[in-house]
Order: sequence, then structure tokens, then C-alpha cells
Amino acid sequence: MISDMDATPDFQSPPELEAAWGFPLQLVACDLCGWGYLATGDLAKQQCPHCFKAELSPMENPQETLEQNLAYGYPPELVMPFTLTPEKLAANIQSFSQGIPYPPVDLKAESLSRRLQRIFIPVWLVDANVRADWQGEAGFNYEVVSHQEHYNEIQGGWKSQAVTETKVRWEPRRGKLDRTYPNNPVTALEGEIGLKMLLGQYQVQGAHAYTPETARQAFVRLPDRNPEDAWRELLPSLQSAAAEECRQAAKADHLRDFRWRSDFYHRNWTLLLLPLYMTHYLDDDNQPQPVYLNGQSGIASGDRRASPKRARRAGLFILAAAGLIILISLLLTLAGLMVTPLLAVGGIGLVIATLVGIAAIIPPAIAWQFNRSQKIGS
Amino acid sequence: MTESPSLEKYVPVPSTLEGIEVYAPAPEVSAPHQPVVDFKCPQCGATTAYSVLDGGLTCTHCGYYEPPNKPVMGKGAEEFEFTVETMQRAAHGWGEPRTELECLNCGARTSLSVGSLTSTCAFCGSNKVIQREAPQDVLRPRFLVPFKIDSAKCSELTQKWLESSWMTVAGLKRLSRLAEFSGVYLPYWTFDSVTRAAWKAEVGHTKTERYYDNGEWKDRIVTEWRWERGQVQLTIDDLIVEGSQQLSRLLLGKLKDFDLCDLTPYEPTYLAGMQARAYDVTLEQAWDTARQEMRERTRQACHAQASTSQIRNFSMDLDFSAESWRYILLPVYVAGYRYQDKAYQVMVNGQTGTITGQRPVDWTKVGLVAALAVTPGLLLCLIGLLTLLFGGVGAAIGAFGLFLLILGGVIDAVIIAKAMSMDDI
Repeated sequence: MISDMDATPDFQSPPELEAAWGFPLQLVACDLCGWGYLATGDLAKQQCPHCFKAELSPMENPQETLEQNLAYGYPPELVMPFTLTPEKLAANIQSFSQGIPYPPVDLKAESLSRRLQRIFIPVWLVDANVRADWQGEAGFNYEVVSHQEHYNEIQGGWKSQAVTETKVRWEPRRGKLDRTYPNNPVTALEGEIGLKMLLGQYQVQGAHAYTPETARQAFVRLPDRNPEDAWRELLPSLQSAAAEECRQAAKADHLRDFRWRSDFYHRNWTLLLLPLYMTHYLDDDNQPQPVYLNGQSGIASGDRRASPKRARRAGLFILAAAGLIILISLLLTLAGLMVTPLLAVGGIGLVIATLVGIAAIIPPAIAWQFNRSQKIGS
Repeated sequence: MTESPSLEKYVPVPSTLEGIEVYAPAPEVSAPHQPVVDFKCPQCGATTAYSVLDGGLTCTHCGYYEPPNKPVMGKGAEEFEFTVETMQRAAHGWGEPRTELECLNCGARTSLSVGSLTSTCAFCGSNKVIQREAPQDVLRPRFLVPFKIDSAKCSELTQKWLESSWMTVAGLKRLSRLAEFSGVYLPYWTFDSVTRAAWKAEVGHTKTERYYDNGEWKDRIVTEWRWERGQVQLTIDDLIVEGSQQLSRLLLGKLKDFDLCDLTPYEPTYLAGMQARAYDVTLEQAWDTARQEMRERTRQACHAQASTSQIRNFSMDLDFSAESWRYILLPVYVAGYRYQDKAYQVMVNGQTGTITGQRPVDWTKVGLVAALAVTPGLLLCLIGLLTLLFGGVGAAIGAFGLFLLILGGVIDAVIIAKAMSMDDI
């Protein structure tokens, strides 16, 4: 339960934006995908950095939006700056766009770089104080001596080798716990599972205190997730952290079947903004495919797809070549009726044409296989 | 978890992290270690001893009876694994070369030999059980099979056994002087294991084939060799290995038909008035012996899996797993008797009554029987040879005589082997 949540942050009353954030900000939204941002100046007039299909427009009732749709409107305590150098960024974009067989025409490093947008994504860092009664089974490694034997009639009998095996002895343990678990990250946005996975790759130690200047650099997404939902998502990781500490306290090598009856008596929520680059490329159907880049490490995430259209075109080209070879072969075969050696040449040509014709399916097959492997891997 | 876990029967243990308390199950409270247990009747003060017939501690003076405290465990008796620590410590044995014991009853001093677990004072007859502290708790005897047969029954069984074989001297029962049986708890190790083996070998399949030779078709038997493979898994439960080298291992080996379903937790009560020995064959040595037995059984199982019994180039890889062991005491009666100034030994399984031992062989009798076994064959062979000179029927008689001679030879070999095993161990 979150009934005893601390007074800060204030999830109840929305702020006056400019007064709170320290400089003029606008609440803008995309009419197509519904993503809303805090943006300043020219940024507020640009294409939506999420769906890339529509231009952003200012919200008519920003205060109402803050009250009803967003969980929290105040500036963050911490911000992770964009630390990626332009060279590293360019290298990562290059790496993302390479190695794709028959890539879409628009999937080029230049296109991706040109369309880069900066955006800050909100994450809660939760400090939790917990008292609990816990129980589990502690596993202690021990070694036993076993034997492996080999018998060979020709080599004269038995050969024995002693081996040491590690086994685990399980014993029940119980106890009490009164600990603090600081800086537990949980996303502050609803949905976007892929984004959540990417957000897990940040090192939170590099965060700075918020300054108004920071927010001018990029679009800012505000938390739209109910804090109770966020807290529920955090509970399993807190339990895992507690289980690991109980294992260490019991001097055990393993711990299983950990259960606890917990009471979180103090919670501190800190809003942290994480840097993210967003860009896109157009696929065969002219639909924008988003690409995200971690603004700290540069790790790229997005759909890497081969273009079936280009692959088919390549296949057709090979087929055309095969057709040409068949035509020449047939002419040679006809000529062979008068000049016998040409018959053989014509025959060979027909065989080559057949092989080339079969090879025409290779490019579409490669493209299909690549797209399938990307789906399985994601 | 809706309710807090109860900490009843749990004790705190050291924790490495501040803010976290750790509790472990409270260890079982064991009775304080008594180096020597003296057996005195609480009613009359006389010496008490374990009674086989009554199955408990009894006083022959006032009839006081005290049953054992612990229930029979049987094959569920706890087993131990071959941990590295145990193997290292087992090699050290019990560590004490000799012990001087002062009798609390009469003050006499007795010197105990290595490995003795009990003592009866030679002066006042009081019974004592010595409980040495082993280098590791698991290396003291924790289970035993109590005596089920008393010494009177032993004597009765032995008397019958002495004259049960025609090979022994006539009137052995009457001529020998049988000493009284002493019950002694002997140390044994039991071992459990699962063996998994993958084998391969060339297996011979005989077949008859026809071939053409010198203008005619003939048959011959040829062996065709084919590679075969297989896998065997054996579960070996409670393999018993002697833990003492003080008595004849050959005789003890014939007494191993103990029923471990009677295994009971160790109590000094069972040893009162009996002799008992600690192990002098270490766990490692006994496990070596047991492993040899286990791998031979596995090898035979692999052979049995082959499609025929003609096998060559046999090889196998064998893996032991789930190995465990126990250190137990098993009941044996030992007695000696003399015949013509020569000493012979008899042992009786104190649980089942199986007897084994040495018996003097009447070699004259054995020789006569052996001669009788080959005589018909020999005679027929001679007759056959003679008649062969004079006619053809001798061949048939000679062949039959040869057959009887070989059969007689085989019978003689068996008889002589049995007689030698009886006489000289």
C-alpha cells in the first residue's frame, strides 16, 4: 500500500509550469499518437519525435491536462545529461544501419543522423525503508568425493579416478529485516515496453541536479503513470534485493523459496530525467520506423529490417539475366543444327540459365530470413 | 506470506549484515557425553547386562528389566555422504593407542586393547561401555543390530553343525571340547551407490556355414564378431564390508546375511556385558573394497546385456553417484574348540543363526569316496581297451568308460575343494 507515501513529491496539485521549471515552457502534443511533451521555443513547432508523422501543436488546456492526464508536473530533482560525443553517436548510428542485407532506401546513417531528436524520459528513483519478517531455504555448498572408473580388457583392467563434486545442503532460515534500499529505478511512463528495456541500461551515478538550462536542450516527457502502478512494478525487485541481502547475512551460497511479510514505512521518490535520442527511417510502405539511442551509452534499439521490395527487385534482375542466357542458348542450339559443336554450347548455356534462374530466389530468401531472425531475437 | 513465521525451535545465528537477523533450527539436544557407562542395577546395585532373550537390560539378581529407549530404524537409518572433510578425518581413526580404565566398583585397574568398546572387570565382574569421542561425530557407531540368538542356542546349533557333513571325522561332536560362545559386536561399513555404465564389446555369434571341399559339401561352425553397445544402471543398497581385520575375513564373509531391517540407534545398553570392537579398517579402505565389488557387479550386468556370452575387447566407463555410507555394529558369536590338540574356530551370526567355521576333515573317508567316484570309469576304460584288441564293441565300452572317468574326476575335484575349504581357513 502507498497510503503512507511521503509528502514529496506532490502527486496531487499540478504546478504553474514557468514558475516551477524556471523558464518559458509549452505543453505540446501530437494529435496522431497522443504523446505530450514539455518543449521550449522552436522545439515546440517540430515534428513529433515519437511517431514522426504529425507536427506538434500546443495543448488547449494545459492545466487541465496536468490535472487529469499526468501524474506529476514539477521539474525533476536529477537529470542525466546527454554525454554522448558526436563521434560516438555517429558511429553508433552507422553501426545500426550496417549489416542489413537489402536495406530500405531510407535506412542510411545520414538520414538517421539528420532526423535526430533529443528527448528526456522520466524515471522514478525510489528509496524504500522496510521492516520485514522473512523466511527461506539457505543452500550451503559442500564437496563430496566420487569416482569414475574405466575398464578395458585389452589394456589390462580398471583405471579409477577420484573426482570432487559440489552439492548443496538446504537448511531452513528465518529472521527479521530492517534495511534501506536506495535508488531503485522504475519507469514513470505507461506502456512502451521496448523503451523500458532500453531505459534499464543507464548508469544512474552520473546524474546532476536539475537546472533550467538542461530542459532547454530537448523535449521533456512528463510522468503519466499512476504511482501505485509504478510501486507495484518495483516490489519484485525490492524483494529480490532483500533476498540477496538475507542470503549474504546467512552466509549461504544460495537462497530459495524466499518469502517475507514486509512493511515499507518510508518512501522517497526522486524524479530523474534520462537522455534519449529518437530518429526514424522510412520502410517500403513509407511508414516511419523509430530508432532509439541511449543518450548516455549510445546503445541503439529499433527494428532493423531488410527491404523485401529491394530484394525482389534484385531477384527479378537475376531472373532477367537468366532469361537472356536462355535466349542466347536457344539461338546457339538452333545454330547447332548446322554447326554441331554449337549444340553443346547451347546445352551448357541452358544449364547455366537454369541455375541462374534458381538463384533468383536467393535475395528474397535472404531478406525474409533476416527479418525473421530480427523478430525472433527481439 | 500472510503471517509472520514462528521462531519457536529456532535459535539466532551470527549475521554478516547489520539490520538483518538470522535464525536457524535449534540443534538436537544430545545427552552429555559419558566416557564410561557403568551398568549397575538401580534396585539392588548388582551388575546388569543386556539380555538377548528379553531384548533389554536385566539384573539376574533381582529381575530388574529396562527396555531400550529407541525404536528400530531399519534401512531408513541415517546414511552419510563422502564429504571431503569426512574422508580426510576418517583416515585418522580413533587416535588412542591404549586406555587405562579404573573400575568404579572395586577400584581395580584394567588395560584396554586398541579398539575395545567394552570391558568387564576381571575382579568384580561389573560391565562397562567405553564411549570414546571420535574425531568426527559421524565416525562413531550410530546404529547396530541387536543380538537375537542367545549363546545357549548357539551351542545347540553348533553341535548339530559339527556332524552335519559326511566329510568330518566321526563322533566330532562327542570328541571336541566346545568353549563357551562370546557375543561380540563387530564393526561393519555399509555402502549405497548408483552405478551407471556405458559399455561396448565385440560379441560373437556362431553360425553354421556350408563349404565345398574335395568334391563334397561340408558344414562348419564359424563365429561372426559384431560390435555391440549398451548402458546399465544398478542401484546397490547396503553392501556390507567388514570393519575389522582381527578375525578371519573368509569366515566373516560367509556370515553377511544380516537383515538390516533390524538396525537400531546405538545405545550403550545393547553393549552391556558384550564385547565390542571399533573399526580398524578405515572408511577409505572399506570403500575401496566395496567399490571393487560394485564395479564387478556392474561389469557382470553389462556382460548379461550382451546378446551372447562370447565377448571380447570389452570396455566400459563407469560412474558412481549418490554414494553414502554408515558405520554400524553387527552381532557375531565366536567360539573355539579343540580336536586332537588343534584349535578350530566357529562363528555364528548373532541375528540369523548362520554358522560358519572350521571342521577337521577325515581325509581317509574323502579319499575312499574320491576313489569310488573314478573306479567305475577306470574299470570300463580298461575293459574297453581289452575288448578293442579282440573286437569292435570295445570302442563303445571304452568311450562310455572315459565319460564316467571324466565325470568321476569332476566329482572328485568338487569334493576335494569342499573338504579343503572346511579344513584349512
